[in-house]
Amino acid sequence: MTLSTSATADHIYATGLRNQWHAVVPSHFVAPGAMRKVTVLGEQWLLFRRSDGTLSMLADRCPHRGAPLSLGKHLGDRVACWYHGVEVETDGTVSSVPGLPGCSLEGKKLVTSLPVREVAGAILAYFGDEEHPEPAALTLPEPLTDPEVSAFLCYAEWNVPWRYAVENLLDPMHGAFLHHESHTMSDGDTTAKFRIRETARGYFFEKTDQRGVNFDWVELCRTGVDWVDLSIPYPPSAGPGGPFGIVGMACPVDEQRTGVFFWRYRRVEDWQRASWRFLYRTLIEKRHWDVLEQDRVMLESMPVDADQQENLYQHDLGVVRLRRLYRAAAEAQSSAGA
Amino acid sequence: MTDTWPYLDVHQSRTHEPTPYEHKLAATLEEVFTEEGHELADVVRGLTSRQVHAADGTPWTEESFRAEMNRLGA
Ligand code: FES
Ligand SMILES: [Fe+2]
Repeated sequence: MTLSTSATADHIYATGLRNQWHAVVPSHFVAPGAMRKVTVLGEQWLLFRRSDGTLSMLADRCPHRGAPLSLGKHLGDRVACWYHGVEVETDGTVSSVPGLPGCSLEGKKLVTSLPVREVAGAILAYFGDEEHPEPAALTLPEPLTDPEVSAFLCYAEWNVPWRYAVENLLDPMHGAFLHHESHTMSDGDTTAKFRIRETARGYFFEKTDQRGVNFDWVELCRTGVDWVDLSIPYPPSAGPGGPFGIVGMACPVDEQRTGVFFWRYRRVEDWQRASWRFLYRTLIEKRHWDVLEQDRVMLESMPVDADQQENLYQHDLGVVRLRRLYRAAAEAQSSAGA
Repeated sequence: MTDTWPYLDVHQSRTHEPTPYEHKLAATLEEVFTEEGHELADVVRGLTSRQVHAADGTPWTEESFRAEMNRLGA
């Protein structure tokens, strides 16, 4: 097992929470018949896809002497380690030790294999520690499953701690400043009062005095996977269909790196849906990207000790709440095995 | 598919670089949505008055526009 219950709370807080699902990479990063090495929660993993499309995820560590399986060979339904040829099946079972047939390693499940799901173009995996190997119940974000909603995934890799990426989403007020020169967020007041509204699955952080003008609210949802939902108005040029929404997730890669997933979605049907999708591909995607780059540039420029020397005010309540929640979860997970 | 960090790709939804026809249609469509309205009739009228026609040169009808959007926006 690679995810240990003996990890410290600091380590878990820095590299990502266990015992829940996380988005890993877009589905198309692993072609049929291919493998891909990925880092998640500070650990090395191997995504392995059969030619029929079936996906599995293994710890990237040979059960013999620890060589990366990702350097090995894809054998269709198993991987052969390059070092001494040990073969591992997609559920983590050693199927053969070519150098010593009949060796006692054969038939043993010695490699961690994570439960995986593919959702709206992304690979989700369950990262349980050794005390919690069974996957947590997963409720998918409804904008990604509702047939009346159309969505595009945008994935990007940022050199920031995962918490900074999530905190940025629980900080709606930056929309009116950082994104003031954007295609969607030039309107609205630059002063606001916020409140936290608890829900069964997380909480809203929202302006009390403005809605539907800028980035005015966000909901943190903890449904087996952590995600945020928010909505931002489009200008009339985007055509009929109202505002667009974002479902956001962050993949904790390691202490300094994060994969961010943003599904831009819109509740649109028929020709309105088709014309938005056409405009998105041709013109709008680039403008959304420019906004995201503003976030990346700002977050990557933050000093490493940014969250050690702050003077917070009322707009930061959403961030404070988030940190408290994640810190408590990290503490609980670090002592789970004690 | 590259393995190098970081992956930063502006265009992730396209299947091809838009053709000049697609570029022009999209840009005009945005103008029409802004200036004429959001109904199908507004769109057909706005594209026609701007002399932006279908790929085969014929003026748009509601049916042909709908069909073309379904093709381009599938
Ligand atoms: S380390 Fe993999 S076969 Fe020896
Ligand atoms: Fe932002």
